[in-house]
Amino acid sequence: MRPRDDDAAHPGAGALVRLFHVSKSYQAGSWALRDVSLELAKGEFAFLTGPSGAGKSTLMRLVFAAEQPSEGQILVLGRNVSRIRPSAIPALRRRVGVVFQDFKLLPRRTVEANVALALEVVGTPTRQVRSRVFTMLKRVGLQHRRYHHPLSLSGGEQQRLALARALVTEPEVLLADEPTGNLDPDLTLEIMDLIVDAAARGTAVFVATHDHALIERYGRRHLHLEDGRLVQDTPGRGHRP
Amino acid sequence: MRRVAASARTAVRTAWSGLRTSPVTSGVAVITIAVALLLVGAFALLVTNMERILDRFGEELRVSAYLAPGLAPEAQEALRARVADVPGVLSVALVTRDEALARFRESRVARAALLDGLEENPLPASLEVSLEPAERTREGLAALNDELADLPGIEELGYGHGWVEGYARALGVVRAAALALGLVLGLAALLIVANTIRLAVYARRDEIEILRLVGASRAFVAAPFVLEGLIQGLVGGLIALGLLALFHVALVPSLRGGMELLLGDVTPVFLAARGMLTLVLGGAALGALGSAAALVQGES
Repeated sequence: MRPRDDDAAHPGAGALVRLFHVSKSYQAGSWALRDVSLELAKGEFAFLTGPSGAGKSTLMRLVFAAEQPSEGQILVLGRNVSRIRPSAIPALRRRVGVVFQDFKLLPRRTVEANVALALEVVGTPTRQVRSRVFTMLKRVGLQHRRYHHPLSLSGGEQQRLALARALVTEPEVLLADEPTGNLDPDLTLEIMDLIVDAAARGTAVFVATHDHALIERYGRRHLHLEDGRLVQDTPGRGHRP
Repeated sequence: MRRVAASARTAVRTAWSGLRTSPVTSGVAVITIAVALLLVGAFALLVTNMERILDRFGEELRVSAYLAPGLAPEAQEALRARVADVPGVLSVALVTRDEALARFRESRVARAALLDGLEENPLPASLEVSLEPAERTREGLAALNDELADLPGIEELGYGHGWVEGYARALGVVRAAALALGLVLGLAALLIVANTIRLAVYARRDEIEILRLVGASRAFVAAPFVLEGLIQGLVGGLIALGLLALFHVALVPSLRGGMELLLGDVTPVFLAARGMLTLVLGGAALGALGSAAALVQGES
């Protein structure tokens, strides 16, 4: 395996995500992911790049057990996703925060209720839910919109809402698919700072992006996929912008 | 415990929000359940009243135990008391010889002239035995026959075999038909309700998918839907009961004349409290089961 990233917030901690020769095929002869092996340690931050169809989203879907690999093994937080029982998937997902490219927000619920959902599924007491949701919405700058519905928000606000829902549970692993795609440069940096902050608190982070300026600016580990293969794994520079 | 309470509160809140934010879908489900239960309720009402009619006929069913000639009045009374203690006997009436003669003379089939030439009353005293409703079957009568046949003082037993068998057969047919039709109607109601709720669940499949993606357990996803189904079923059941009562109140007076002719003094009744409760709670169960079935089907 590759050497441990030097910007891991907790050097020496065990890998939270491990892929061993993982391949994924949706139809015979065509591979969405091909023989990918990698590790992501606690507090480690990795950018995931590649052209559309390179396998970024597939890799993320495998990590949060939305799919099972066709070949190879995936260990996430000590659970073997390749063999996980369907009944054990919810417990795993509660420890993995995901920011989806299409946000996957509930249009009939308010902003506040969308964020609260992630806490409610683990049975967090109502009072705690309210205070944690408010704090989180404040961090992403949406506290003034908490009683609005997602469809009345701008694309950037929806993206921040999706991030708030993913981070409010303080997940051990965060998967963010183009989390800054709809944001202006100032907001992009604010959101990225939130994600970097989560990594500093020990969350292992994958961020899929097409924005090379971000990779350059943050100098984190960079994984590049092409045609389903991991063709480049560049360690981080060990500094923060 | 706090987590369970918090999850229960969330389920109730989500269910309420689901009902409030999709009034059309919920309304369709409620109306479907109400119509399905109205049919089941109308059928139950029909069966209840048919059973009453059969019970009314059953009350006419009596066994006559003819007493030995020369039995003293005290002995006749003692025998009456003894027969009254036989299991399955509802009541026993002593008909003296004089009463029997008087009845014969009054009856339509009587030919008073037949008796004119006789010097003494040829009719024996008898005990008229009525049976408990549950015993008004061929088997019940046979058991009574066994009990009474060997009693000293009873000479002969009389009852209309053909009549009893016809009555027992009619009762059996009505009950079997009621059970079969009730099952078919209940199943049809379940399928209709499950299908309606399935459409409602399908309309919210995105919500279910998102809940699963953020780590909601199956129970967490299912609870609000099942609760919604239960509330819709409860409301549907109440509406069905209300409509049934309305039809009953509105229709019975106009049908009374014809029914009296047919049934004598049997007045049509509404469902008993237990029947009403079954209809409403059955609606709730139907709604909850329909939701659960729709979710299971959606998963597969």
